[in-house]
Amino acid sequence: MASLELRSVSKAFKTGKVLDDVSLAADEGEIICVFGPSGAGKTVLLRLIAGVEPVDDGAILLEGRDVTDTAPEMRGVGMAFQNFALFPHLSAFDNVASPLTARRATPETIRAKVGKVASLLKIDHVLGHAPRELSNGQKQRTALARALVADPKILLLDDPLRNVDAKLRYEMRLELPALLRSSGSTVLYVTQDYKEAMALGDRIAVLLEGSLAQVAKPAEIYREPASLGVARLFGDPAINLIPVEPLASPSGPKIGIGGASLSLPASYTHAIGKHCMLGLRPESILLGSHPSPESFDVDLVAATPLNEKTLLLLRTADGRELLASEPSADEAPRRHGPAYARFDPSAILLFDAASGRRIAPQSA
Amino acid sequence: MEHTSLLEKTLRGALLALIVIFFLFPIFWILLMSFQTNEEILRIPPSLFFTPTLSNYAALITGKLTTAAGTLDIAFMKNLWNSVLLSTASVAIALVLGVPAAYAFARFKFRLGEDIAFTLLSFRFAPPLLVLLPLSLYFQDLGLTDTYTGLVWVYQLIALPLILWIVRGYFEDISPDIEHAYRVAGHSWWRTFTRIAVPLARPGIAAAGLLAFIFCWNNFVFALILASADKQPVTVGALAFVTASGIQYGQIAAAIVLSVTPTLALALYAQRYLVEGLSLGAVKG
Amino acid sequence: MPDIALSLNNVDKVYQRRGRPPVHAVKALSMTVERGEIVALLGSSGCGKTSTLRMIAGFEAVSNGDIAIAARRIDQLPPARRGVAMAFEGYSLYPPLTVRDNIAFALKSARLNAKEVEKSVAEISRLVEIEEILDRYPSSISGGQQQRASLARALVRRADLYLLDEPMGQLEPQLRAVLRARLKSLLVERRMTSIFVTHDQTEANALADRIAVMEGGLLQQFASQKELREKPANLFVATFIGEPPMNVFEAAVENRESMRFAVKDGPTFDFASAELPPNVRQAIGGRDRAVIGIRPHAIRLGAGANEARIVSNQWLGDQSHLAMDVAGKLLVAVSHKPIAAKAGEAIRYGVGAADLHVFDAATAAAVSHGLETA
Repeated sequence: MASLELRSVSKAFKTGKVLDDVSLAADEGEIICVFGPSGAGKTVLLRLIAGVEPVDDGAILLEGRDVTDTAPEMRGVGMAFQNFALFPHLSAFDNVASPLTARRATPETIRAKVGKVASLLKIDHVLGHAPRELSNGQKQRTALARALVADPKILLLDDPLRNVDAKLRYEMRLELPALLRSSGSTVLYVTQDYKEAMALGDRIAVLLEGSLAQVAKPAEIYREPASLGVARLFGDPAINLIPVEPLASPSGPKIGIGGASLSLPASYTHAIGKHCMLGLRPESILLGSHPSPESFDVDLVAATPLNEKTLLLLRTADGRELLASEPSADEAPRRHGPAYARFDPSAILLFDAASGRRIAPQSA
Repeated sequence: MEHTSLLEKTLRGALLALIVIFFLFPIFWILLMSFQTNEEILRIPPSLFFTPTLSNYAALITGKLTTAAGTLDIAFMKNLWNSVLLSTASVAIALVLGVPAAYAFARFKFRLGEDIAFTLLSFRFAPPLLVLLPLSLYFQDLGLTDTYTGLVWVYQLIALPLILWIVRGYFEDISPDIEHAYRVAGHSWWRTFTRIAVPLARPGIAAAGLLAFIFCWNNFVFALILASADKQPVTVGALAFVTASGIQYGQIAAAIVLSVTPTLALALYAQRYLVEGLSLGAVKG
Repeated sequence: MPDIALSLNNVDKVYQRRGRPPVHAVKALSMTVERGEIVALLGSSGCGKTSTLRMIAGFEAVSNGDIAIAARRIDQLPPARRGVAMAFEGYSLYPPLTVRDNIAFALKSARLNAKEVEKSVAEISRLVEIEEILDRYPSSISGGQQQRASLARALVRRADLYLLDEPMGQLEPQLRAVLRARLKSLLVERRMTSIFVTHDQTEANALADRIAVMEGGLLQQFASQKELREKPANLFVATFIGEPPMNVFEAAVENRESMRFAVKDGPTFDFASAELPPNVRQAIGGRDRAVIGIRPHAIRLGAGANEARIVSNQWLGDQSHLAMDVAGKLLVAVSHKPIAAKAGEAIRYGVGAADLHVFDAATAAAVSHGLETA
């Protein structure tokens, strides 16, 4: 029995359909990151599961129980909101204790449980403060503590790190997995940051325009995205997309980039004749100062550093802009001007231009 | 960038003083009059120096007015008590009805919600004279004339719209997620209303209640037409000083001072909330 | 002789508040910017960077010190007479004009004929990708589009100095990378001296020639991003710069024939006398305590004198972030390849002498960076 299950859930607002026939099943203790661009419906999904909004269609099952029509206070989930939603007129302690008072726990139990979760999240020294006296990081941890304190079977976290500064966000990204796993809850974690999704999720559910484009392990989504839309969302900077139409040739399928004719692996023979989009991740474009058989001419227009890598803005002969990246070398930065680019054939992605779906390589 | 010249400062001070005098002078004058006898008040030229007397207040409190024509019974203290009773009861009932209604308007989107809300607000704008004749007829039929119940009911026309509009604004200001969080934590919607929504809207509720009290207290027309002597509030009771033997300015002044003091004190005490409440009502409207 | 475009001399900014103590937002700030240079003011919120930019623009008065553009003192001049072009949050587009007219308006004083104006507007809108919304009104476009239009308006003019306040804060990450590259290209091509404020290091790194790191109103370090990363002037810069930032630990120091840094309840790093040059050893001197710093990319994994338990191993598609439990804190290592190790396992690690940074335990100032003194 799945711990959390969504069956064909749909939801529309006056502005339009936000969720369209979404189905998902999470195992007990699993962490699923719901990821997608803003407006895709991620927050709405969490609110439907929490019971804060009613579904239009479909069913929600928690621990096998159909809760689609159950009031939120009876669902027994823990939820942390994006803007913290702390009760301003209660102390941090009372905020965290709120799920326990609802379950009529004794004062001793409350003290014990609140103390435990507060020390885990390192907010035990500010429990007596009012929310407005807390820093953003402390507010976020208080909201998280409130969601965790009653040991809920299902934990819903709505982009909890969004309103927190970059440094703290990074630290939490390192600490959260262990914290969430030790709680044993099934977790649905909403985020707009693909790195967060990859770092935290056992699986990632990619929500695009109201429906699930792909649900898979992080590495799989990065290497084998189901569609153009998914591929664009993962990777910083974003993947380069070039329209190509593979042609047959004695040495296998060939495509044209920037006036040059380049080989595709034979496993893409079935893509010949189709209108496709070639996906090249920046790290798979290699730049050299001398031409080679599989290279195409480019003009290196700009080189901007990005952490320990360098981003290279390239312009092909037909005016297309491509972004390549390479680990920064200690020597002098690359000079602008003509260069020769080639791609790593094992790392390419090919998509059908019309449907956007990925064309998987086929072994002969 | 921050220098204001001495000239500007003096001009500003003078202007402010003028405005203050303009608004406060009548109140000051009334206060003075309340300590003067009728003869002193009517003396020409008027003088600032006089021996203060408490006879006006004494007359009001004891209920006996001695004039040239004889002794009159004045029911001023009863009027004062009526004002207190009517205003307090009206506001209390309006709060009990209005606060949950305001919450419903703020949180639940139901059909015609905006239309109903606007209709209720329009009651504030309707001139009382418009409804007075039909009301007095209804009251006679229902036997509500000259009853506290009847007056409190009519006063809802004054108090309810005010409370609805101000308190709704405050409820709307509370982020819905705070209430959602409380419900997801396991509390029913009633507990959410009483433990989260109402406490957080308390400044608005207090402001609305205060304003409603002041407006009810100041009401004249309803009480004049729909009640008679022993149920009338101070606003109407002041008319008693226009006697056959002349207008008793001294007692009127004292009556005014006594009538205005409670609401003035309340307003001064809670002025910050009142300004907030008033502007919120205006903006959200 | 460098061509100084902007200089700030001992600039202070104190905000006086009624009934509350004054806030000293900027303290004795001195810096010079050369013509054509792109400078980033980087720091967390409240560090003084926005106050500094506003003082240069003329929206805030200088409490002390002076500001000069091309050797001409400007701190007493109103914003319009300073010869600066700006894109500020809140300095928004004029609602009754279309986006096109908004941008063209900035060229009014440039005395160009209609054709040249149109050409400039087209060029700049192509750069920030707002060509489709040129004929819309500000109220009908999204926040991100408004921001790009505001940027276009600032950049289309010829000015002595360009001031940009968080120019890309509202944009999606994908768009940001492309726009950054194009913006940099434009700024460099036209030698536009520009100063922009950001709290995002990636942006600062991508665009700026030099970055001024600020904290608590004080300028911490003003240098290229390479220098900030490789030679941070103090602990604040060291732990602020970098994603992830430098790992720092307090250590007991033994400076005898060999050099030893012993972290309490943690690893010990030993270096033979030949590994560290004499001037570095002299700079470290007789200290018995210091703070050591190691950059995440510089940690050698899989072999070394120390061992730690892995707390998390995150593969982000193009790099691995490995966090280890060291002395009660997290030591973060980054690699461009996946690391085959799971949370809970032990892993060996080491640090080369050339990658060790030493800071003074009391003043937090840098003492040495690898094989060079600070």
